[in-house]
Amino acid sequence: MLNLIPGIQSTSSALNAERIRMDVVSQNISNAQVTKGPDGLPYKRQQVVFQTVLDSQIEGGATVQIPTITTDQRPPILVYRPGHPDADTRGMVAMPNINIHEEMVDLIASSRSFEANLAVVKSARSLAMQTLSIGKR
Amino acid sequence: MDPISLIRQTPPGMQGIAAGNPALQRAIDAAGQGTLDRIPESVMQQLSRPASGQIPGAGGPGATSFENVLGGLVKDVAAKQAQSSATVNALLAGGDVPLHQAMIASEEASVSFQLMVEVRNKLLESYQELMRMQV
Repeated sequence: MLNLIPGIQSTSSALNAERIRMDVVSQNISNAQVTKGPDGLPYKRQQVVFQTVLDSQIEGGATVQIPTITTDQRPPILVYRPGHPDADTRGMVAMPNINIHEEMVDLIASSRSFEANLAVVKSARSLAMQTLSIGKR
Repeated sequence: MDPISLIRQTPPGMQGIAAGNPALQRAIDAAGQGTLDRIPESVMQQLSRPASGQIPGAGGPGATSFENVLGGLVKDVAAKQAQSSATVNALLAGGDVPLHQAMIASEEASVSFQLMVEVRNKLLESYQELMRMQV
């Protein structure tokens, strides 16, 4: 098969991985206040783990994938809210172990990384087009 | 002036052109004697083939001939176009296709199409150059 745009395979996989990471961050942010999930426990923070996959289809090519999404095992944050339906006998409510600042930093890192990969695609494409213009008069 | 009468007027000095190609030599001889109409069929068949067997590169079946290479390029470009439109269609139909994948597929299709156009332009240019050549 033609491979005209250099490095497009690994860049595409990285874009995909960053997209999943952004999905997970948005899931964490939207569930930051959830005190009762399907299992009756407060929501637990999810995080992605990136992994390199050696792709035999590309020569020496290494693509990125996310094999699993793991759960952050930090304990829930206890907040004193006696009127809350999920409060325990001492009036403490277990909130998800999510620090919103951490999530925002993750989001920034993810979007910058996505942009970097987009810049690679754009530059590779423009190089291919400029190379093709060798034949023009 | 039609080509046959041109051949009939072949000057004697041009006989050297046919040196090494007996079939062509016989044809020119026949033309010189005004007997072109009576050139045997076998001679005409020999003439329509290259004198010294196969042209290198334009080999037999399975060889990577120019035709095969060009056909492969066109097939590749067509496959890229089909893949691109399938990806974009899947994206628009709400399938599980990321936006960047659709864009990358369409860019790949566009670049390979450009390559095909450039190759075609080059080929046509050299063909026209040959046709313009003064004989």
